[in-house]
This record gives sequence, C-alpha cells and structure tokens, in this order.
Amino acid sequence: MSTQSDVILKQSLRKIEYPLCAKEALGRIVELICGRITSIKHMDLALDLMAEFIFYEVDRRGNKRPQIVTPLQELQLLEIMFEYFNSIPNEAARNSVFLSLFSGTTAMMRSGILSKLISIAVGVSSPVILLSASTWMQQLGCLSANSCKLAEALVHDYFYLIPNAKDRLKTLPDICPQFTANFLTAVAENYYLNSRKDKMFPPKILLEVITMWISENSSLCISAQQKQAALPPGAIAMEVTTPIAGLLRWCILAPLYNQESELYCHLHLALLNSILEIPQTVPAKAIYAQHTIVPISYVMYYVNDLKNQGLNSEQVLNDEKLQLALDRYAQAIQVALSMKAVYGHVDDLLNQLQHLPYNKLLNIVVNTHKRIK
Amino acid sequence: MISHTGIIKSAPQQDLINEIQVFIRGASNLDKCNPLELSKTALTLLKLLPASRVAVFDYFCKVFDNAASNYIKGIESEIKTGTLPQQCETDEVVISEIHLVLAQLILENATAWAPIISTWSLELLGEISTKYAGRAHISSKLNETLQLWMGCRATRTLVDINTKCLSSLIHSDTEACISALLDTSVKHSPHFDWVVAHVGSCFPNTVITRVLSCGLKDFSQNKSYEQGCNSAKLKSVVGILGHLAGSHTEDIRKAILEIFVRSLRETMDDTDATRIQKKATTPFILQLAYLSSTLLSSICDDTKHTLTINTITRLYFFIDDWCRYFGNPETLEEFIVTLILRCESGGAQILTLLLDCVLVTKIRGNDAMKNAIREKAKDILEIILLEIDESVRHNSPVNLLKSFKKETKELNVLLLNENKLIYETSAQILIFLANLNPSVLINSATHLLLNATNNEQLTLLLKMLCHELVDINCHKSGHFSVVLEQILSRNIQKFSTSNEENSDLTKMWENLLTLLRWEKTNKYPILSSKLVSRAIQSNLTNLTNLFASEILHMHIIADILDTIEIPTTKMTYNPPLQVILNLSQSTVNYFYACAKEQGTSLKVQGFAKVCRILKRLCTYSKVAKVFVLRELLERALFRSDNNLFGGKSNGLHHDCEKVLLKQNKKINKIIPLTKHSSVFNGGIIGNGKRKSISQDNLPLDDISHNIYQLINVLKACCSAQANEENKFNDLSLDSMTLLSLLLVQFVSPDVMYNGLPWPDEEFSKVTIERDLFIRKMFTNAPLLWNLLGFVAVSRPALCYCSVLIRALTATLIHQWKSMGEQSKANNTDNYRNLMETTVKLIELMALGQLLPPPLSNIGDVLQFLKCFEIVAILKECVWSYMRDHIPSPALFVCDTNGTYWRDPTIVRPPETYTNALRIIMQRNIKTLGPMYAQMFINVPKHD
Repeated sequence: MSTQSDVILKQSLRKIEYPLCAKEALGRIVELICGRITSIKHMDLALDLMAEFIFYEVDRRGNKRPQIVTPLQELQLLEIMFEYFNSIPNEAARNSVFLSLFSGTTAMMRSGILSKLISIAVGVSSPVILLSASTWMQQLGCLSANSCKLAEALVHDYFYLIPNAKDRLKTLPDICPQFTANFLTAVAENYYLNSRKDKMFPPKILLEVITMWISENSSLCISAQQKQAALPPGAIAMEVTTPIAGLLRWCILAPLYNQESELYCHLHLALLNSILEIPQTVPAKAIYAQHTIVPISYVMYYVNDLKNQGLNSEQVLNDEKLQLALDRYAQAIQVALSMKAVYGHVDDLLNQLQHLPYNKLLNIVVNTHKRIK
Repeated sequence: MISHTGIIKSAPQQDLINEIQVFIRGASNLDKCNPLELSKTALTLLKLLPASRVAVFDYFCKVFDNAASNYIKGIESEIKTGTLPQQCETDEVVISEIHLVLAQLILENATAWAPIISTWSLELLGEISTKYAGRAHISSKLNETLQLWMGCRATRTLVDINTKCLSSLIHSDTEACISALLDTSVKHSPHFDWVVAHVGSCFPNTVITRVLSCGLKDFSQNKSYEQGCNSAKLKSVVGILGHLAGSHTEDIRKAILEIFVRSLRETMDDTDATRIQKKATTPFILQLAYLSSTLLSSICDDTKHTLTINTITRLYFFIDDWCRYFGNPETLEEFIVTLILRCESGGAQILTLLLDCVLVTKIRGNDAMKNAIREKAKDILEIILLEIDESVRHNSPVNLLKSFKKETKELNVLLLNENKLIYETSAQILIFLANLNPSVLINSATHLLLNATNNEQLTLLLKMLCHELVDINCHKSGHFSVVLEQILSRNIQKFSTSNEENSDLTKMWENLLTLLRWEKTNKYPILSSKLVSRAIQSNLTNLTNLFASEILHMHIIADILDTIEIPTTKMTYNPPLQVILNLSQSTVNYFYACAKEQGTSLKVQGFAKVCRILKRLCTYSKVAKVFVLRELLERALFRSDNNLFGGKSNGLHHDCEKVLLKQNKKINKIIPLTKHSSVFNGGIIGNGKRKSISQDNLPLDDISHNIYQLINVLKACCSAQANEENKFNDLSLDSMTLLSLLLVQFVSPDVMYNGLPWPDEEFSKVTIERDLFIRKMFTNAPLLWNLLGFVAVSRPALCYCSVLIRALTATLIHQWKSMGEQSKANNTDNYRNLMETTVKLIELMALGQLLPPPLSNIGDVLQFLKCFEIVAILKECVWSYMRDHIPSPALFVCDTNGTYWRDPTIVRPPETYTNALRIIMQRNIKTLGPMYAQMFINVPKHD
C-alpha cells in the first residue's frame, strides 16, 4: 500500500526487455484492477504501468518517449496481449482490463493497437477477445468515433485487403454475435452519410457479407441487447444501439444514389425480418426514433436536386428511384411501429415523415399510426 | 455456445498464433533462423492476418536491405580483389519468393494492395539508395547509379514491384503511388533519383501528369509566397520533371499545357479545392519554370498557340488571385519579367504576344480591362528591352537573346510591319543581337533592303546601321557593303546557275537608288558618313559585272551607277582597273540594249546616262577610253548590232564558214574524177548565185536616231576634261585622233599603204583591190560616213583617215570612168548612188578642210556635169591636190582658242589644181554661173 512497493514493482519490470515486460505488467494490472480492494491509487498505478510498460508511451520519469515502438515490438505486444486475454477465464476481469487499457480518454491514442488486436482476434477467431471488444464498443457507444474507427480498420483489413476472407467471416456471428452486432452498428455509421465524402458506399463484399449474416440469423441485430455484458463492479451498463436503423438508411438511400445492387433488396428484406423477430419489451429498446429520421433530410436533398434540374413537382413525384426509396422507408416504419420496437419521439418521427413527398404507402402508414395514437 | 465454437475453431486459431510466434522469434533473432522459412511464415501472415502487415513489411525491409548490402559488398570486393565472390543464394530465393507473393497480391487486389506495397517499396528504395550512396565507387551520375542498382536483385525486384503497382492502377488511381514517389523523392534526393528516372521512363505520361497534379495540390495549399517557392515537394516535382525532360519534353509540355487549359475552364461541379487549384495553376507553372530552365524552355516553345489575346483576357480576372501567391503585384511582374528574360526559345512568340497586347483593340470586354492589359504589356515590354540593353552593355547577354537569335527570321518579318511600335521593337532587339553577332545585322539589313516599300522602312534601315550599339569598325567598308555584297553575290550565283531570277530584286534596286539619292542631297546628317556610296563603291566589281548581264533591272542599275559618279568628282575614290573595265563593257552593253529597246523615254534617259557615265570614265582613264571606243565601233560596224545603224549584215561570212574535214572529203572525191574525166566543173561556181539579202531593216527614223545617239556617246567618250583651258572645244583632240585611227584600223583590210600621203593616181591600180574592199565597207555600213563626218568636224583628225578617203576617191574615179563609156542616162540607180557617194565624199573632205575652197564646193557642181568631166575634176583637181598637199595635221594651225583649222582665205590652192575645174565650169557657165561667181570671183580675201 505504499508508494515504495510501487517503485519496486516498476523497477523490477524495468529489468525486463520492453515487449516482454508487458506480459508481467498485464498480470500486475489485473491484480490491481480486479483485486478485492480497488482504490484510486491502484487505478493510477495500473494506468502508469500501462503507459510505460505496455504501450511504451512514457519513460520512467513520465515524459513522453520520443521513439516509437517498432512494428516487430508492436506485433510482439499484440501477441502477448492476445495470449493474455485468452488466458483470463473471468469475463468480467477481462472486460475490466480491456476497458481500462482502452478507456475513453486513451482509446484514440491507442486505436492503432486496438484495431490490430481485434483484427487478429477476428483473423484467428478468438471469441473471448471479441466479446471484450463488443463490451468496449457498447460502453463507449457503438456510434462513437472510436467504434467507427475500429470498424473501419476491420473493414480495411478484411474487406479491402483480403477479399477472399468472406468464407472466414461467414462464421463471425457464430463466434461472437454480440461483437458482430456492434460491429454492424458502427459500420452502418461509416457509409451513406454526407460527413464522409470519400467513402460514401460500402464495398460490395461488405454488403454481401452483411446481407448474408442478417439473412441467416434474424436475431443477430439484437443479439447484443439480449445478453447483458459482464462489467466490472460499479460500472454502469450502457444501452446498446442496434444496427437496424443504420442499415435501413442504407437500403432507403441506395436507390437515390444509383446503387442498384440486388443486395440492397435482400438486405432490406432481411432487416424487416429481423424487426419482426424482435421480442416485445416494455419499454421498447430496439430502434431509436431519432435514428430513423436521418434519411429524411437526404431524401429532401435529392428532391431539391431534381427540382434544380428543372423538373416540376409532378415529375419529381413520378421519379422511380424516389418512390422506391419512399416505399422502403414506409415498409420499414410500418414494420417497426407495428412491432412496437421504436422508442423515443414517435410523434416527431411521424410528423417529420409527413414532410416527405407524397407516397401512397407512406401516407397510409403515417395516417394509420397517427390515428392509433 | 462460446466454448463450443472455441473448440471447433481452435485448430486454425492455434496455427495462426503459432505462426505469429514463430515469426516474432525469427524476426527478433535474424541470425539464428532460416530466412527462407521465416519469409514463408511472414508471407502466410501477410495473406491471412492483415494486422501483421506492418511488421511483415518491416521484416522484408531488412531482408532487402541485407541483400542490397551483400550485393554492394560483393562489388566492393570485386573492385578490390578483381574476383566476384559467390553470390548469396538464399537472398535470391527469399527475394524471389517475396516477389512472387507480392506480385500475386497486386494482381488479385490492386486497388487495396498497390498503394501500400508501392509506398513501402519506394520508401525502402529510398532508404537503400541513401544508405549505400557513395559505396562501391558509384559515381553520382544517374545512369551509372541506375545500372548499378538494376544489377542488384533486391532493388531490381523492388522496382519491378513498384512498376507492377503503378501499371495495375494506371487506369484508376495512381495518386497515392505518385504522392509516395514525391515524398520519397523529397526525403532521399538525389540518391533516389534513379528510381524516379526509371519509374518515369516506364510511365512517362502517368508520372508526369500525376507529379504535376500532386505538386499543384501541394502548392495550392501554401499560404505564403515564401512557403510556396521553398516547398520541398515543389523542388522534388521540378527534379523529377527535370529528369524526364531529357526524353519526354513533349509529354511534359503537353501535361503542363493540359493543366493550364484545364485551369481556364470553369465547370459547375468544381469543389472548393479544385477551384483553388485552378487559381493556383498559373503561379504553379510559373514557379516550376522559375526553378527549372528545361521546363521553362519546354513551356516557352509553343506559347503562340497557348497564350492568345483571348486567353489573356480570361487570365485577366485571375490576377488578383495570383498575386496572393507572390505577395504583391510587383513581385509577380518582376517574376514574369525574369522568366521571360530567361527563355531560351520561343522569344519571338512572347514578343509577338506582348505587342499584340499593347496594340489590342478587338477583344470582348470593357475599356478598363483593355487599358490595363495595354499598359501592363507596355510596361513589361519596356522593362524587358531595358534589361536586355543593360545586359548587352555589360557583356552578359540574357538567355532571351539566345532565343531571339534563333528567330531572327520572325523578327525580320516584324521589321516590315506597318506599326511603328512593332518595327521599332524588333529593330531594337535585332540591334542587341547585332551587338553580339554582326551577321544578324547584315541579315536584317539585307531583309529590309530587299523588301522595304516605304521611306520609313529605309529610315529604319539607316538607323539600325548607324546605331550606337553596332560596332561600326567590324567590317572594313561598313556593314552595308557586306549587305550589298551578299545580295549581289547571291544574285549572281542564282543568275549563273538558273539564268532566271527567282527573287524579285526590283525593290532592292529602287531602295538602293533612293538611299543613294538621299545621301547625295547631303541633307541627312545620318548619311554624312557616306555609308551608302562607300558600300556601293566596295561592291563595284560585282555590281558592274552584274550590270553587264542584267536585263530586267538595267535601267535602275544604270541610274545607280550614274548617281554614284565613278570616278567621283572630288577624286576621293579611285576605282580599280577591273571596275573600270567592267563598267566600260557593261555600259557599252547597256547602250546597245537601250538602242534595241522599244520605248522612248527610258531609252532616251538611258542614252543620257550612258553619256554621263562614259564621259566620266573616259576622261578619267585612257584604258577605258580606248576600250569603249573600240567596243562601240566594233559592235556598231561589224556585229549583229550593225543593223541598228542601217548596216547590212555581212551574212556571207556565215555561209562561207567551211569545215576542213568537209573540204578534204570534197577534194578526195574530185581527184579521182579529174583523172578520168574532162569535165572541169559540176555546175556551181563558188557558192552559186549570190542570194539577195533581204533584211527587216529598221525605219530610217530609228536608224538616224540611233546614229545620232551613237555619235553623242562617242562625243561623250572623246570629251575633253572639264578643267582644261579651252572651253570652246569640248572634244579632246587626242581622243578624236584615236577614233580616227581606230576607224582606219577597222576599215582598212591590212596594214600596208595606210599612210597619209596620196600616191600618183596611176598607183591606184596596185591598190584597187583593197580600195574596193574599203568601198564595200562603206556601202555595207553607211554609219561609217557619219563617223567620218564626226571625225571631220574636229580637225585635223580626219587626216588620219586619209587612206580611207583615198580609197573612196580611187574607186569613184574608176567608176565614173566606166560610167562615161557605158551610158549617158543619169537616171539609173547606179548613177544616182554614184553621184550621191561622190558628193558625200567631197563634202566630207570639205568639212575636214582637206579641200580648201573653191575645191570644197565641187560637190555642188558635180550633178550638173557629165561623167568624163567629173572624172577629170576628180583626177585633176581633187586627187592631184591631195597628192601634192599631204593631208597631215601639219597643214592646220592652232588658233588662240585651241581650235585647229586652215584659214580658207590664206590657203587658196594654186591654179594648177583649179584650172580643170574652172574650165569645165566655164563650159557649163549656163547652169553654173552663180556658183562660178561664188567660187572664183567673189572669193573672200584676208585683209
């Protein structure tokens, strides 16, 4: 309990060469975090150890190290961490360490290593680490920048660089459905949003794999919500966002951006099926109303574009792409509302939908639900 | 469920983790492992676990570096020991293994892998190049470095991989690769240059366009001027383009033009970034050109088509944006001027553009813009001229002059432009060039002289020749003489090879004459150095030579030769003999050409010029006089020209020309005939019957005019020097004597009996043959009478023609004798001819004062007399008087005026010579009464 012991600990660790000392340090950190008595002091020490012995960010005096880790050292570190996490039997302890290694404040800095760790976990199918990652995403928010970045790195690794990894990824929902669900939520956020101009559309293989996953497993989308994550004592579990709203956005907007792949139809169907599978809960927690509003503004942009091209309002209404998008939109809303899976300001959602150009189905859906209320 | 799946997947999971561990172990302890196995593991990881790629590539770096190091060591030991050590085989195998896998990755999934692999390979190449730079005695020359590294398996593989990356992306997106190339080039230049050169030559178009667009992107993001021009990336761009410029100038030029043209085109879907890039394009190009002269010249080669007035008006709106990249407008202007001054090609195009801008009138846009463009162009033009001026004066000419030097042709064309600014500017530049190389001036002056059509252009020519920057002492007789020399020699060459004129020199001759006349007026101070006449004088040999053969421009050349006055009045110039001879010959030719000419005014003017020229010439040089007189007479009497003067062509000669061979053959045939036959002649004697010569004789008017002009010319030739004392007689006696002697020489068939004295009349039997010959000459060439008349006027020259007169008299006596026996009819042609000739002869003798009165009046009497009386008079009076009074100059006395004459009041012939005449006249007193009185009674007496 004294700083003396801390110093001794650090000195003993310093005697070991860098990547190897990480192993030892990890053991100590687990002890410190998951010990029976946890104090802020312990926490501080654990953080110090992480910075100095695991991530090699600071030297013994706490100053920033000028040199960075070599790729080989990094790989060694990854291997050590991988082995270590796999060796911790207790899920809660694992998650605690994981969350403190990549906490909200340090995750950005350590995102490179995190991405690689998860990438390896995906590559060698380690459900243990993936589960922790899933919890991490959940706690930081699946739509947060950190999660999106992780998702992007994984997409780059397994959908850009290794296009033939499809077969290997097929089984990901079986290995760790929670992680898959959260990954989908984050991935959905990476495309079909104006904020990301360079990568507007998902690669075809990604779309293919996602469609396959959801078609084959209609409960995949809500799997993260179904099982409570094991959290360190005292931690507050964050509500999980499902990928449904995000992926629906893809299906709705695809026709407007001339993405005519058949896959969007299949994905749309699979999503509708998934919604139908959502068990009724009180209150509803599967789909957040605000997330379903997002496509509205994009539809309006599209309408404006058409008008700018000199089309009159009737011609705009007859636009096939627009009607297809609105049809999909209406179907999704109808199914979601009828399953009572939407939470948040449903009234607001309905009001906003009324601003959209006329669509028969949408009109019926909105009017019906307004009447029910 | 988790545990369940865990068991299922444990096998591959464990395998991969094992692979990672094996790799980590191997890679952290390279010495103790099999590199081939390790590489295979690494490649497996790369294929299955993308997260490990950084470490794997890092390991590959070591492998390649090691291989490169081995290679370098091998070469070094070869240099040292002379033998090449065994190459490490594992290196080869490992590298080829890696190569295979990477190539496959690129092939399968280019868009994802090519940028990564390309960046990695470029960086590695950069590091290796830098690390081993200077090793193995590599010279820093690009080609040798390239050769060295292409010999190394490792680097060759890397280059090959990189090439594969680029070629796989060539149709989609090469930006990442090229950007990496640029970055590496920035970091590792100059050791990395060989890679750039290699990649560049593999994909010239891609590399050039991408390099440009990367550079532009970077440049457009610069905030300040300093940042812009010091950017490492920009330098790298310049470096790379510089490498490629050697073999791909055209591509570079195209690429630069393309971005320039694109920058002018505004489209609706431009994003802000591209809009900024478009604005930065021109400053970027300028900056590139500033940093590399090769790029500058490649850009400048074709400004004509890129930059037109219309382009300028569009660029006008960008200027404010450009200034941002240069700080302020002054810097921009200075920058542009510097660039222009550094151009080594296309200078004329730039100049034309500037001039176009200054003179801009027809463009769309408001007046403010027009004025701004005009003013700025004027400024820049002035600055440029000033700078060149200064540089020339300091003997360090700017590059722009080199460009102009290649384009003197275009500049020469501008000289003839109507606009003052244009021709003065081009003249200015040509003068700068002339300062460095006088031949330019010669060229331009030639061009001007050949083509000038107005006085301004001629003035410009003079100004150029007399400009202070032109070294006047360069040529002995001035630049202008060289100009003339070139024109003349070229002309002569052409004339002699093709015998027809390709270039029309009319303008040149006119211009030359104009200049000469200007000079002669003495009104223009610029001409006070007499440069025109000096130039003509030094070219007289050629000029006179040309004059001899020229037909088209003979009148104007004659004008020039007349105006230049050879020899000059003040004797400042002594023409060489060759000139004098040439001029004599050619003037005589000109005279005959004029005589043949149809027109009148040119002809008359021509005769006047001939007279003036010959007068000067003959009074100056005796040789010329002899030559001219001889030539004039010979042509007028004997050549084909004689019909101009009523002569009958002695065409007989032409027929008589016999080939010796033919004659010999004839003889051979005849000899056997004469042996066996008594037939003497086949029928034709000589040439058979004489053919009546029918000629198209000229009208009498023309003949007499021609004769008049010939006499005039002869008069000019024989004229006395102006400064001689006697003002009354403008003919020189010596010359007349010469003329007279020449006539004898021409007409008399041999040298015998050409003396002055007349022998006994009986002696004419001996000389009858040659007398008849002389007589025939007079019949064929009536001109002789005129000539003798001309001689007779300037006494006592006719004395020297004594032999001719004697021959004529002898033949006449003979003819009258035979006439008296045959017929009394005095109406025949024969009689009239005889009478006419006799009267002409007597009058001639009277004119020459060979016959004093009353004998001189015989001509008036003869027609009333009978033939025998005429014979008697001719014999008793004329011949006898002449026999006893030898017609020699001694008979004449010189009076106070310098005129020779015989006073008729003093030299009355003694009675013996007049008695016959008197008696015959008394016999015919009926008709001859008044004349008798005049001749014998009312004789004027000397008081």
